[in-house]
Amino acid sequence: MNRTLNPEIIRIESLCKSFHHGRIVALDNVSLTIPEGQVTVIIGPSGSGKSTMLRCINHLEVPDSGTITVDGIVLESAQDINKVRTEVGMVFQQFNLFPHLTVLDNLLLAQRIVRKRSKAEAQSVAEQLLRKVGIPEKAKAYPGQLSGGQQQRVAIARALAMQPKIMLFDEPTSALDPEMIKEVLDVMLELAQEGITMVAVSHEMGFARNAANRIIFMDQARIIEDTTPQELFESPREERTRQFLSKILH
Amino acid sequence: MAYADYDNGNEPLSNGWRDWRFMLILAGAALILVSLALPFFSQRISSAKVSFSDGSTITSHYSTLVQGLNLTMSKSPVDAKLDAVDAILTPVSHRRSGYGWMIAILQRPSALRRHLSLVLCLMVPLLAAAAGIGLTIRSQRTPVGLARGWVPAAINIGWGALLGLFLAWCHHFDFSFTLRAQYASGFAPGVGLWGAALGAALIFAGAFSFRRALHENVLDWWALVFVVALTIWLLIRFKPFPYVEIWKFVEDGIVVTLRIVTTSFGLILLVSLLGGLGRISRSRVIYFISSLYVELIRGIPLLVQLLFIWYALPQMFDVLGGLLMSLSPNLQAQGQWLIDLRLSPFTAAVFGLTFCYGAYGSEIFRAGISSIHRGQMEAARSLGMNYFQSMRHVILPQAVRVILPPIGNEFVALLKDSSLVSVLAVSDLTRRGREYMARTFLSFDTWIMVALCYLVLTLFSSRAVEFIESKTRFER
Ligand SMILES: Nc1ncnc2c1ncn2[C@@H]1O[C@H](COP(=O)(O)OP(=O)(O)O)[C@@H](O)[C@H]1O
Ligand SMILES: [Mg+2]
Repeated sequence: MNRTLNPEIIRIESLCKSFHHGRIVALDNVSLTIPEGQVTVIIGPSGSGKSTMLRCINHLEVPDSGTITVDGIVLESAQDINKVRTEVGMVFQQFNLFPHLTVLDNLLLAQRIVRKRSKAEAQSVAEQLLRKVGIPEKAKAYPGQLSGGQQQRVAIARALAMQPKIMLFDEPTSALDPEMIKEVLDVMLELAQEGITMVAVSHEMGFARNAANRIIFMDQARIIEDTTPQELFESPREERTRQFLSKILH
Repeated sequence: MAYADYDNGNEPLSNGWRDWRFMLILAGAALILVSLALPFFSQRISSAKVSFSDGSTITSHYSTLVQGLNLTMSKSPVDAKLDAVDAILTPVSHRRSGYGWMIAILQRPSALRRHLSLVLCLMVPLLAAAAGIGLTIRSQRTPVGLARGWVPAAINIGWGALLGLFLAWCHHFDFSFTLRAQYASGFAPGVGLWGAALGAALIFAGAFSFRRALHENVLDWWALVFVVALTIWLLIRFKPFPYVEIWKFVEDGIVVTLRIVTTSFGLILLVSLLGGLGRISRSRVIYFISSLYVELIRGIPLLVQLLFIWYALPQMFDVLGGLLMSLSPNLQAQGQWLIDLRLSPFTAAVFGLTFCYGAYGSEIFRAGISSIHRGQMEAARSLGMNYFQSMRHVILPQAVRVILPPIGNEFVALLKDSSLVSVLAVSDLTRRGREYMARTFLSFDTWIMVALCYLVLTLFSSRAVEFIESKTRFER
């Protein structure tokens, strides 16, 4: 890649979001800039607003105030939102595969409708991605027939099929049995090494150490600490970070 | 794979063809094949003299089996009652076996038209024998020793064969049990018929004893549809007066009913979809309008709605038209058009049913769509699909499986409630029944016939819905 990387592919400025008419504050004046090609891991206790921030980036949640700019597009009109969403892939904790479609059709659907690719083209993209995530033989299976790890790998392939510039992962391994976590992390690691921009909410510290350029610790709707993995694990600045780490690192 | 779900797939379900149940079935099949070559009916009616109360008589000659309706319906003199029927029985010399009758009828095209039903009735035992043999042969090739799909076929064709033989015997004496009572000995079934009946019973019993190995319901409710349809047919044939006439009279009413129901059902689906989407809409206005529609319409009886559309709506058109005309001279034409506007009975009926059932359907669609997990919509949207694309390709195909059973029930209810449109001068099945009753005062026969017609339609629809449902299931 010769072209220069965008130093601000995602730019979040004073983002606020609350639920139940302001009674629950999920994001409290959060600002954040993410450069292209970096892998960012977000950690933090449950309910600290990690998912909400990720979901605001592709507008699954509508912010109360603040601006979000993705690849130079300010999220405002409906067209902008759909345009941004095609550039941002998202992987959910609960996989959210389409259970009425085969694995292959799961990968084809959005390519055909949104990217308007020909059937043959979409199919070759899909097959290549299924090989990449290691389950080419399951193309004709239905999601219900796959294990959790296989389903999550299909979900990753489905998001990649749109050839997004950015991938968002919201606790992709939390719903998995322990023996399946590695197969999903391996796929994510491979993506990280290919240089795709990645924002992942994950408490897999091994993955954070190996793949992340940057770790963000969130608590009570705010960003508490924003640093590199080495620094975070060796000398966390904040007391709250230290307490949280001691809980998850045993 | 299909065998894994019974008995852990390990234990064989039969001991090969030497299993006593297969022996029973094979014996039954052999018995049927042989019996059809033995004498079935030893006598036939060669001529009959019908006497009437005014002393006149009519004599008819029959070259073969009597044609069902002719004997009792031969042109009776006006105002005379049928007194007695004297039939002359002749022994049948050749071709009196089951095969013989079939060949004799099939060889003559003129006879075929009149006696096709006899051929069909005699075919069923043959089919039963084929099903029994098929079951035995196919079972030898399966790992568990039993061909699963063939068991229900053999059971159902088995009892169907018994019914077929009974009906074949009825052909023998003009479908009239009075005649049979007079000549009881002459119409006694021949040995072939008894043999074939025993064979059919053996096949039924043998196949039925496999039923327990299958753990599934074999005699399904499709049989009920068949039985009710058969009842109608039997009524028409056994008691041509008045049932043939009633049938001819209400026939076109059935077509009208079906046209109304299918037209409105198509529109109902559309209204329900829009109403259902409205009920989950984030827009306050759309939500309010669709909720108001649903709440209001569900609170008014369908009959009142229909009466309103038929009697009150034209008045409203008049008032509105007058209002338009008085507002501005430019609107004269439009006002006159509104005053002249009259809905046809058919349109009014479809309109009323759609309006009412659309409200119930909206609730079904709302429940179905909201039963699909929120993550599905989010996943679709996150891939860049817009709201309608996501609905069309992701949410609705899944919701259909939830919606289908209650919507199927709605269809059946609609079919029944469509009888209410008879108040709108629509000549549907119910109205035709009322018209016939007003002419003849045959209330019992008329309403039995109408009820049976509705029953066939509703039972058939229920089965069809179940079938579609079973085809749209998928693994979660
Ligand atoms: N759709 C929603 N409705 C109401 N409250 C919500 C909703 N989504 C999130 N919240 C609340 O917002 C806060 C932050 O949630 P979330 O972003 O999911 O946290 P995390 O992902 O860090 O566990 C929590 O208190 C949660 O209960
Ligand atoms: Mg979360």
